[in-house]
Amino acid sequence: MARTGRSSQGAAPKVGIQLPNTVLERALVILSRYREASIAVVALILAIYFQVGSNGAFLSSQELSVVLRDTGRFGLIAVAEVMLMITGEIDLSVGSTFSLAPYVMVLTSIGWGVPLAISAVVGVLLGVLIGVVNGIITVRFRVPSLITTVGTFFLLQGVVVSIFNSQPIVAPVQEPFNEIFGENLYSPTDSLWSWHGLTAFTPFLWTALVVGAMALVLNRTTFGLHTIATGSNIVGAREIGVRTDRIKVYNFMIAGAFAAAAGVINTAQFASADPLAGGPFLTLQAIAAAVIGGTSLLGGSGTAIGALLGAFVVATLNNGLVMLGAQATVSDIYLGTAIILAMILNVQVDRMRARRRI
Amino acid sequence: MNQKDIPALDPGTPAILEMNHISKTFGAVTALVDVSIRLRQGEVLALVGDNGAGKSTLIKILSGFHHPDSGTIVYQGKEVHFRSPRDARAQGIETVYQDLALINDLSIYHNMFIGREYHKRILGVKLLDNRRMRDLAQTHLNSLGIQIPSVNSTVDLLSGGQRQSVAVARSIYSSPTILVLDEPLAALGVREGAHVLGLIQNLRRQRSVSIILIVHNYNQVFEVCDRINFLHSGEIVLDASTSETSEEELIRIVKSGLGRQAIAAAALEVGPGPDQMARINPDQS
Repeated sequence: MARTGRSSQGAAPKVGIQLPNTVLERALVILSRYREASIAVVALILAIYFQVGSNGAFLSSQELSVVLRDTGRFGLIAVAEVMLMITGEIDLSVGSTFSLAPYVMVLTSIGWGVPLAISAVVGVLLGVLIGVVNGIITVRFRVPSLITTVGTFFLLQGVVVSIFNSQPIVAPVQEPFNEIFGENLYSPTDSLWSWHGLTAFTPFLWTALVVGAMALVLNRTTFGLHTIATGSNIVGAREIGVRTDRIKVYNFMIAGAFAAAAGVINTAQFASADPLAGGPFLTLQAIAAAVIGGTSLLGGSGTAIGALLGAFVVATLNNGLVMLGAQATVSDIYLGTAIILAMILNVQVDRMRARRRI
Repeated sequence: MNQKDIPALDPGTPAILEMNHISKTFGAVTALVDVSIRLRQGEVLALVGDNGAGKSTLIKILSGFHHPDSGTIVYQGKEVHFRSPRDARAQGIETVYQDLALINDLSIYHNMFIGREYHKRILGVKLLDNRRMRDLAQTHLNSLGIQIPSVNSTVDLLSGGQRQSVAVARSIYSSPTILVLDEPLAALGVREGAHVLGLIQNLRRQRSVSIILIVHNYNQVFEVCDRINFLHSGEIVLDASTSETSEEELIRIVKSGLGRQAIAAAALEVGPGPDQMARINPDQS
């Protein structure tokens, strides 16, 4: 460790950009440059591990459908969480929005006889409204979003359970709405390449589509640029004319909308709206996915693709360990460890980048 | 790079900007008390004064970052209210803040164009035209003789001097009407400082942009400025053209008890300058 490649050359510059010296630092630089790729490797290793451990059952279409549906659910919320975390904020209320939006969707559909497709839009708009409220409380009243959204989490959770005493309500099934947005028509006799085969993965496919779109938004639009600027240097961004408050509120709206959409998809799948479908656990799983995907809470950096890969890792740990015969609760030990390790890595990679600044 | 290279500004040049009776407090802290400054078309005005004198607050009011408690801003003959830095930039007032307002996680070219991005439409979707911004940023930096490794690298990889250069380059990219530079030489070495001073001299020679410059080094003030406003404890205590005052006088003001009366007495002692009222109020000169 003492003699590194650079210093042994004798003429190493003392000022300017310090190139990485130790093996660890080099590894961190590679990780920072190829964040998504390194999480993809982790995801692949996990998939292979469970595939071997379960004697080939993990990658069967049945099991994969379950894992990818979970990936879709976590991923859709995680990608919105990534956007917020890039601005330096967080939304813990997504778990309640996930329960409330489809509940309202089903109630409006049954109560007023509105088609599900329209009441679904009502549900998603409710999510947007929740985002506006979270955002305005955070930027106008300067309440840290961690606290704001804990408050709205309990508030909304209380609202949804009090409507019908925590009872799930049966949702109407209206084709093609349900089969497009999550209902699983796949049976083992179907070909994987048929419409029925496709419906085994619709929640995942919707999420993949949204994640692709958000990757584009983040990297190739003014909104994405200003989102990164807001989290990277909020004072500087304001000085140069970025409307940081608006950017934050918009991202809260995205988080509310995506959480609501994930809830709608979940209800379309099970034809039932459960007030306890989301809850704190879903919020934390989505944040875990974002963190494992390489987004730190420090703001200014994060990846949309990483959120999807992180969601796959969380879903794989949840389902794979159970397949191997572990108790469902045991997977939390691995998940917890993964979150902590990922976070240490994220912070180290960020510090590494900061240290290279002279 | 000498003062003599550039002919003095015609005293009859109209004002491009007047900030009248600006006051600003932050909670219990009074930052500015009834401050008025006047900037003429093509003029380079130095704003000097000790730390905490209110210089940065004043220019942040001009840039729309802060809002004055009272007072008016008349810009190009019209009273204006800048609600945000976005407003001020849109109307041709560019500011290089002391902290440079660079976004570490973004590339140099994104930093150059943030707030005025170029777009192209692909399938009707408005996307950033990164190639165009990259090329324009490179051309602009080259034309100013600013050397950086690559416009693609993030600004956190730049040295202090390079960061300062990029921030200055960004501010003059859009050919602003008024350019405000808050300590543009603070982080610079001798050579880099001379380069930025050279940029300012070039702008001054053309007289197309009016500049407000905050500097600490009085030597540099006399090199590049037409007029000096001395701000102390939130008040303007001296307003004089560089030819009417001297470095020694500025130092005397800093050392003297300060406050208007003390300055007036001190200024009279210095001797041959015009009478005291003219110094405090340039309108009568």
